[in-house]
Amino acid sequence: MSQAREPGAAGSPSVTGRRPKGAGMTEAPIPKVLVTKIGFDGHDRGSRIVAAALRDAGMEVIYTPPWQEIAAVVKLATEEDVDVIGISSLATDHLIVPKLMDALREAGLADTAVIVGGIVPDEDEQMLLDAGVARVFHPGSPLAAITEYVRDITPAIRARRATPTDIAGERR
Amino acid sequence: MTASAAIGRHVGLAPGLLAGERGAVARAISQIEQGAPGAAALHAALGSHLGRAHVIGITGAPGAGKSTLVHALLGELLARGHRVGVVAVDPSSPISGGAVLGDRVRMGTHGAHPDVFIRSVASRGHPGGLSRTTVGIVDVFDAAGFDTVIVETVGAGQSEVEIMRVADTRIVVCPPGLGDDVQAIKAGILEIADLLAVTKSDLPGAQATARELRDMLHLRAAHPGQEWQVAVICTSATTGDGVAALLDRALAHATVAGRGRRLGARPARPPGHGHDEALARVMGLAAADPFVRALGITCTDAGPGSATVAMTLGPEHLNFNGSCHGGVVFALADTAFGLAANSHGSVAAGIDAHITYQQAAQAGDRLVARAFEVSRSRKLGVYRVDVTRGDGRPISSFTGTVYVTRNAHARAEPHGAQDEAAAQRAAPASPSKA
Amino acid sequence: MNKPIDGALLTPGDPHALWQQEYAAQIGTDRAVVNRSGIPVKPLYTQSDWPAGAPADTALGMPGQPPYTRGIYATMHRGRTWTQRQLTGLGTPEEYNARLLDVLAQGATAVSLIPCNSVFRGVDMDESHIELLGTCGTVVNTAAHMDRALQGVDLAQTSCAMNDPSPFTLLAFMLAAAKKRGTDWRQVSGTSNQSDYLSHYVANHMFFRIALPGARRILGDHIEFCNRHVPKWNPMSVVGQHMQQAGATPAEAMAFTLSSAIQNAEDCIARGMDPDQFLPRFTFFFDISISFFEEVAKFRAARRIWARVTRERLGAKDPRAWRFKFHAQTSGVDLTRQQPLNNIARVTVQAMAGILGGLQSLHTDAYDEALSCPSEFGARIAVATQNILREEAHLTDVIDPLGGSFYVETLTDQMQLEIERVMAIVEDAGGMFKAVQGGLVQRMIGESARRFQSKVDSGEQTVVGVNAYPVEEDRSARPINARPDRAAMQAHLDAFRAYKAARSAADVQRALDQLARAAGDTRDNIFGRVVEAAEAGCTHGEICATLRRELGFGHVQAIV
Repeated sequence: MSQAREPGAAGSPSVTGRRPKGAGMTEAPIPKVLVTKIGFDGHDRGSRIVAAALRDAGMEVIYTPPWQEIAAVVKLATEEDVDVIGISSLATDHLIVPKLMDALREAGLADTAVIVGGIVPDEDEQMLLDAGVARVFHPGSPLAAITEYVRDITPAIRARRATPTDIAGERR
Repeated sequence: MTASAAIGRHVGLAPGLLAGERGAVARAISQIEQGAPGAAALHAALGSHLGRAHVIGITGAPGAGKSTLVHALLGELLARGHRVGVVAVDPSSPISGGAVLGDRVRMGTHGAHPDVFIRSVASRGHPGGLSRTTVGIVDVFDAAGFDTVIVETVGAGQSEVEIMRVADTRIVVCPPGLGDDVQAIKAGILEIADLLAVTKSDLPGAQATARELRDMLHLRAAHPGQEWQVAVICTSATTGDGVAALLDRALAHATVAGRGRRLGARPARPPGHGHDEALARVMGLAAADPFVRALGITCTDAGPGSATVAMTLGPEHLNFNGSCHGGVVFALADTAFGLAANSHGSVAAGIDAHITYQQAAQAGDRLVARAFEVSRSRKLGVYRVDVTRGDGRPISSFTGTVYVTRNAHARAEPHGAQDEAAAQRAAPASPSKA
Repeated sequence: MNKPIDGALLTPGDPHALWQQEYAAQIGTDRAVVNRSGIPVKPLYTQSDWPAGAPADTALGMPGQPPYTRGIYATMHRGRTWTQRQLTGLGTPEEYNARLLDVLAQGATAVSLIPCNSVFRGVDMDESHIELLGTCGTVVNTAAHMDRALQGVDLAQTSCAMNDPSPFTLLAFMLAAAKKRGTDWRQVSGTSNQSDYLSHYVANHMFFRIALPGARRILGDHIEFCNRHVPKWNPMSVVGQHMQQAGATPAEAMAFTLSSAIQNAEDCIARGMDPDQFLPRFTFFFDISISFFEEVAKFRAARRIWARVTRERLGAKDPRAWRFKFHAQTSGVDLTRQQPLNNIARVTVQAMAGILGGLQSLHTDAYDEALSCPSEFGARIAVATQNILREEAHLTDVIDPLGGSFYVETLTDQMQLEIERVMAIVEDAGGMFKAVQGGLVQRMIGESARRFQSKVDSGEQTVVGVNAYPVEEDRSARPINARPDRAAMQAHLDAFRAYKAARSAADVQRALDQLARAAGDTRDNIFGRVVEAAEAGCTHGEICATLRRELGFGHVQAIV
């Protein structure tokens, strides 16, 4: 019986919902990502665009307005069991990301990956990585780089949480 | 890892969950959402802890003001000392399969309150505004000791059966000023609503809308013996009017209809049948099915009234357009259906089945079919099967009905050791058998 | 050359048709060009494009006469150059004061104060993460702080712009400082920069959020108070910058801004205020993108539209009320982190567009805007850029020099149509307040932002150094960020705590109670009570918290 062709992915060809096919395929989990801003800055054009790109790449995104308290972010990440937290920082709000990292560790969320996007001066990037941030994305980063990175790291995060997501895994 | 080890680990979450520990609740919900092996076992382990929470379903068209109303209700519930769990369902994009889960944020500042737990869920193509896993998530909240669980969903065209399994009290939210549209939407809404909330009552048109709704309720004669009268309440999030009244009515409804009413809509488990026994039975049935073997279908999980099967598509499964043959998808769904229907121990024969195809699948895809029981009586059972691709993308929806015979299955035997008659008895239902 | 062309040299036949043939033959694959507002741009414009038989109000006119296409004043920049108003803010009041005096000595002619982001959020420094204090603006929480920040500035002579939204505590602190110095409020001039609450709700969101209805009330009170007591002050600064920076096209940004202005004006009229009285004190604040001609046309079209709206819709009779006065800032969104020195060229082009578009006041960004909060080094170049444009390039010698250009006049007409089209959409939605409440404006802006992003992603829109012409850069050549002196900030914080402990708690409480009562009484003027609270020694955070409690805290709509 014939079926309709699958509709094409939205957006530019590099931002696609398709996962790569290969031999010995495993099921790719659907990443759950929090996109948020802490600190004082309110410019959210970038974070909205990234949230839309993640959605168009087939991911599930929780998007918050700016000025979230660190404690609120930790509570949200706990309840929603997100895989990745994306922090958008334009002013100097990245300076309090280390405080967020500490709070996440204290809450038992050390496995949740944190990525920071926005204006981060070069001299602060290492400081963030040392604090446990997984990656810093500077202005001009292609959206596909961000979505692919999130997609790539999610399986390992799920595995570390000792929650087998691969139904086929039972059969190995 | 073995299936039993996986199950054991998941059931190990149960103590923390039952104690209401936030992290354990969240992880348990994730496992149910992801359909991890053993999720069904975990769900079953909660069985005796259910029925304490009052589950309120809130639905309505987009823009009706649901999230704002939920925010106001949260305030009222917190003031009354309740611990509240919220399941907020947002639709997944039919194009990309992704979703922006924005309800939580629209619920405002109460999300930060320690007695509030909000979980955002994407519908993932599941029709009716809910997600496939909503029932399981609500049960987790119930077992974790939350006093009230609010389920917020989009859309007002739900199948009645679906929402009955999820909520004890159903509130349908209507924006003011619908005018002629009131007639149009009433068809589905009045069937399922226990309460109607007209939001933004500070705006003109709200009172008129409320009047129209009350008129329509009047026209529908109350069934004799019906204990509950559907009420229309006007609410305003900006002034706070009506919110306490709405909550009072909802609580009154719970008293009348009973907390845990939703559980009654599920099939009662025959006494003595445990989850593991059902699982073992189903595994045996699957192993004894020649067609299942021929297609390369494997059963990966099962429980009383549920079954999950999977297969990987090869080139021999394609049609002349190069995508997956519809009969293959049907066979997969039908297999899950038959196993689920036969999981209780009685031979069940399929008498009706419908399938819709949402997206094409390709060679190399791994398809997963999950069957669950929508209803079961002595003679009939109705099942729904969702077929998805490995990444969660919906492929197909299937519903089927079985006729439950009085025959019991033979004890599950390893494949290859059966005589013809036993094989016939143990074979899963298919449309060709009456 | 003025000599007539020798007829024998003219090619026979229609020269325009001939050019079209030659162009088509030589161009190869021509590319369709569309500007940011979606208007197609041709390779050549001639008399056949303009004048295009447009209706009367698109007449060119003279500078200083309606419809003001060529400028709102008869003399424009030749008579009085644009105000060089550089936004500045960093660290403690003392650090700000030093930078301010430096900038004034370099040629800036007016003051603009940007407060710390904590101030934007409505919290005092003792409620903030210390890491974030003073990194992007000055920490001013009291009238005394403001006095120190403006040390050495004669408030009766220098125009001061306070970048501060509801409830305009910074102006209140300034007025308190002026009173203490014996300066008459009637001499004080300047602008409540970005006082437009609607634009902050829609985009940028930099200020703390009082619920929309409350913000609307406070702005009305503010305008009334200033018109009466600080007559040289411009209390209404309608903002287009945020929306354009958030992704609105230039035409959309202008349309939304004009719609906001109409909304605010109608609110004032509803209060019984006289348009001839308050409209002359309405100013606008815009972003200038690097789409050079589009920006020039945008501003020229806006002058025409505003002249018509003020007269016909708002009923103003005094020509001073029809004038579209605006401050503009070069757009930081066009600047890049890669090869940051390129931004100097970008800012120059943007500034030229604003100048040739007829602005009254200009801020040029520092080149390192995309790297961090701008450095002193960058700020100096930004001011020098304006000096060069005025005094070396002589951009002030001719009024509206692009006037009469076939392209610019055609584009002005087209931009006018596009702006009016978007204004009609807002009108249909019930006006700007309702459109914003319903999320319509935010959705439109989000759509435009996404469209632009996909053009950049696909390479259709080139960004030098980012998606084209990339270079391996020497990271060490980038300037190191100036962070506020932690010790100085700590001292500032300690002094603040000591100040709070030492002042009269009774005076403070009385003033805050008075303020809270005013919030519930529409006959009272909230801003007037804010000024009194400032004089009584209340802090910024205390004033904001009181009003937030009384009027409600609005939330940004999260629309993706």
